[in-house]
Amino acid sequence: MNSNPSEVVQDAGIVYIVDDDASVGEALADLLGAAGLEARLFSSAQDFLQSTRPDVPSCLVLDVRMPGMTGLDLQRQLIALDLTLPTIFITAHGDVQTSVRAMKAGAIEFLIKPFGDQDLLDAVRAGLAKDSSDRREASTIAALRERYASLDAREKEILTGLVSGLLNKQVAGELGISEITVKVRRGQIMKKMQADSFADLVRMMETLRRT
Amino acid sequence: MDRITRLGGRSARRFRLGLAWVLVPCIFVFDTVTNYEIAGAVFYLVAILLAVGLLSTRGVIIMAGLCVGLTLLSLAMTPRGNWNVGLINAGISIAAIGITTFLAIRILVAEAAANNARVQLTRIARITSLGALTTSIAHEINQPLTAIVTSGHAGLRWLEQEPADLDKVRRNLDRIVADAKRASDVIARVRTLARGGVSIKERVNLQDVVADTLDLAQADLRRNAVEVDIDIDANLPDVMADRVQLQQVLSNLILNATEALKTESAQRRNVEIRARAGTHDEIVVSVKDNGSGVRPEMLDQMFDPFFTTKAAGIGMGLTITRSIVEAHGGQIWAHPNDPRGACFYFSLPTKDSSAA
Ligand SMILES: Nc1ncnc2c1ncn2[C@@H]1O[C@H](COP(=O)(O)OP(=O)(O)O)[C@@H](O)[C@H]1O
Repeated sequence: MNSNPSEVVQDAGIVYIVDDDASVGEALADLLGAAGLEARLFSSAQDFLQSTRPDVPSCLVLDVRMPGMTGLDLQRQLIALDLTLPTIFITAHGDVQTSVRAMKAGAIEFLIKPFGDQDLLDAVRAGLAKDSSDRREASTIAALRERYASLDAREKEILTGLVSGLLNKQVAGELGISEITVKVRRGQIMKKMQADSFADLVRMMETLRRT
Repeated sequence: MDRITRLGGRSARRFRLGLAWVLVPCIFVFDTVTNYEIAGAVFYLVAILLAVGLLSTRGVIIMAGLCVGLTLLSLAMTPRGNWNVGLINAGISIAAIGITTFLAIRILVAEAAANNARVQLTRIARITSLGALTTSIAHEINQPLTAIVTSGHAGLRWLEQEPADLDKVRRNLDRIVADAKRASDVIARVRTLARGGVSIKERVNLQDVVADTLDLAQADLRRNAVEVDIDIDANLPDVMADRVQLQQVLSNLILNATEALKTESAQRRNVEIRARAGTHDEIVVSVKDNGSGVRPEMLDQMFDPFFTTKAAGIGMGLTITRSIVEAHGGQIWAHPNDPRGACFYFSLPTKDSSAA
């Protein structure tokens, strides 16, 4: 949207606007552009689904009432495709039921048209921040998984024993190996998992178990 | 309109009509050259039946007359055969033509009446479904408003930049102008809609309109145990008005009265419709109820768009009612009723001076 990015400092990230009303969509894109955000405009949910989206923090500004696939349909579809994006709904009427449904499905804001520019920008910035922290978390978890996968079977057994609170000696007894082996292996596990401390290691395992 | 579709396109219509007109002289020649014993004239029926629905009622009558004339001419010109048989055959043919034409025309008239009734019903339905339409109208107006507000904010931001990006400011201003135009177009459309489209003024007898309206409202009135008293001066002159719109005015007032009565539980629910000659060349109609009533400060506001005290109200009823009455050159006003309830009055000129 913004043809001259050097004029304004760009926040990292892209805001996708899906609105069937050309005028409203253009005005939104222009407003975001003026606030230094990159916006991409789509006139239907289908168009948006078919687009290729770069792998950067992004969020979605979505009109509820559109012919064909509505905003809520699109939200549902994205969830089904595991492509959740922080979503800001814009709607003409404060239909409580719809907004409750949208918020339950993870929308971050529900704005009633016409809305103030600051409300929209705040919501969009919150959306981008949420997406970038979601992405950071996702990549941390992916890295953790990879490290965990690099452990061999014995190391995984030892790790499980240790984080469940057993002493080196107990783990050794349980697995039928010597305590010294457990100590050595423990050092290797810490290194492979890139854990600074044993507490760190426990936290990592906790995260892995949660996801 | 209906007829055209039933017969297939225009060309099919023309073909049928052409065939009818070609048949007539053919039959005439056949009837004339054959003996009296052969009743060729009954075939004129085919031509008439082909023409029914394509010609106006008058056209059909003229054609039937022509056929009767030609039958008689053939009778006079046929050279051979038994004259008596010829006379009887001609008589039978003429009777058949007459009866068929009469029946065909009756069907045509009934069809036209049915068509008319349907058009009227559609108009009533369209006006009364305005409630449902309001939501979509609100949406249609809200869209350009949203674009205007957002473009305004965007424009301000481009203006505040150092240096201001005037091209982008202009782009936003252009969009604002276009969207404002769009919103006013929607409003213009709604206005025509509220007027019920083109209004058709005709001589209307108020007693008839009241009776028609009550017929429509009857189910609702009975369900809510509302009694209606009618007191209309039998000597009132007709008014020049759009019948459907006038029904709309009355049914809105009756509906409001019913709703005002619904909130009051234990009492006799009563609506009184009166019509009297006014002081100038006008008729004054009143619809009085003994329902919840109106506070004096509400009397003017009530007619404003979207003014409503009802949870599910839209506040367009009285607005539309007033616009119809004013389009007819009349006025509408209300008073609190004594001891309770409200009374709505509207006037209609009896000399057509309105400029719709
Ligand atoms: N017969 C009546 N008795 C009492 N109040 C009335 C009556 N008719 C109209 N009103 C008042 O006027 C308001 C506006 O009426 P109207 O324009 O028909 O819209 P709506 O019926 O949708 O509210 C109503 O909400 C009601 O408060």
